[in-house]
Amino acid sequence: MKSSALVFLAAFIALSASWGGFVLAPQLQLGRAAQVKTIPAQDNYPVARPGLAAQGAEVYRSLGCVYCHSQSVGQDGVKCEIVLTDAGTNAIATLAALGKFNAELGKPTTLALLPKAILQVADMNAADPILKAISSAGAKAQVLVSALGPDMARGWGRRRTVAQDYLYDLPVQPGSRRAGPDLANVGWRWPDANWQLRHLYAPAAEVQGSTMPAYRFLFELRPLGKPAAASALQLSGAFAPPAGFEIVPTDAARALAAYLVSLRADAPLFESPFTAPAAPAAATNSPVK
Amino acid sequence: MNAEPSQSGRVVLETEPTATGLTVPMWLIAAMLVLLFLGAWYFDARGGWFEAKVYEPYHSVADVARFQPRSGGDAVLLRGKVLYEQNCALCHNPDGMGKLAQAPPLAGSEWVLAAGVNRLIRIPQVGLAGPIEVKGQLWNLNMAAMGVMYPDEDLAAVLSYIRNAWGNKASVVTAEQVKKVRTELAGRSQPYAPDELKKEAE
Repeated sequence: MKSSALVFLAAFIALSASWGGFVLAPQLQLGRAAQVKTIPAQDNYPVARPGLAAQGAEVYRSLGCVYCHSQSVGQDGVKCEIVLTDAGTNAIATLAALGKFNAELGKPTTLALLPKAILQVADMNAADPILKAISSAGAKAQVLVSALGPDMARGWGRRRTVAQDYLYDLPVQPGSRRAGPDLANVGWRWPDANWQLRHLYAPAAEVQGSTMPAYRFLFELRPLGKPAAASALQLSGAFAPPAGFEIVPTDAARALAAYLVSLRADAPLFESPFTAPAAPAAATNSPVK
Repeated sequence: MNAEPSQSGRVVLETEPTATGLTVPMWLIAAMLVLLFLGAWYFDARGGWFEAKVYEPYHSVADVARFQPRSGGDAVLLRGKVLYEQNCALCHNPDGMGKLAQAPPLAGSEWVLAAGVNRLIRIPQVGLAGPIEVKGQLWNLNMAAMGVMYPDEDLAAVLSYIRNAWGNKASVVTAEQVKKVRTELAGRSQPYAPDELKKEAE
């Protein structure tokens, strides 16, 4: 073959360029990711899933939940609001201070129905002089940073998901279809494992109009024991078992429910800032007790 | 190239085909440049220079930093929380409730919540040994001089944290207060006995 060395070299360069782009670059970028501290609570994040939830991840994988459910929340923008929490004792001084930033805010109606968001600012730096003016007038305010986007509007999370959220997942199951809702924060939205079990047994019983198939094979219908099993599902109406029977979750169902409850990506991190509520939920992946 | 049927009916090339000096058309170069420009623009808008901490909708680390919720006065307490959980929580428990036969509780402890911080600062500097009453219970244990190797600021942060965590509410401890006690206690290696500690000013 003519100029075989050149062909070989070209192929080598092409392959090593793609290796560099697909293997080396991501490794350099994220390969050293490790547990971090949340901001500002300084809790470790993420923590490894407890045993049952780790088994549940395998059940989730084997049932192919990922084909209908994503675990990745998107974010379009970020909003910075100044929330007036306390008008202080000198209403006139407070209103005068606020009026300097916005004539509308100088009116007495501003101080009614606190706490409320009074101003939207570009970023924290822009908020600083306003906060300073408010506090020197004797009033109290704080800045609320919140994520914006369709997923937030659906209530699927309080911030976007980032690589840190998946640190201990193997394999990572972010999914790409959304036949059902996103599950990145399902443990935050539905922290009750029993709710998860009832929903797996009869989705329509818990969510009206749900198109999710019922995963009844994860449960056992068996004659009522003496005493009744503690783990038996509390079902009512059309979904209740026949008299003298009970519906008991199998180990797989309990593991899957534990996994779902452990799914929460709502820890405040540097890369995805938002103001956590005053009493932040435990920023971990462990199940809510 | 001339390719004519020869007498035998087969097509024979009279000359070897050679590459001619075709130039790349101008429109292709222009198209490539437009693509290059779009690529560079897209990278600039969304690439974040491959920084691991930068995700959409942010453009750079400085951009993300602009939206970090401020901790302000809480920064000291957060520093204290980290140090507490690394050094103190093993015995005193992360929730400040103490551990049986290891350390008395700090949450609600009258020693922690004392109006003055003078006694409290002394305990981690040289340690504490002997029977001490905390929240109506007698504890007879030894505490090592855990705070001796920490800078004034760190010790102040930890003490401020325990005075303001788990429902505790008391004034913060300043680095100056720690420094003052530290100079007083310089050279001392004997741990305090609780009775002796009670003789110190609050």
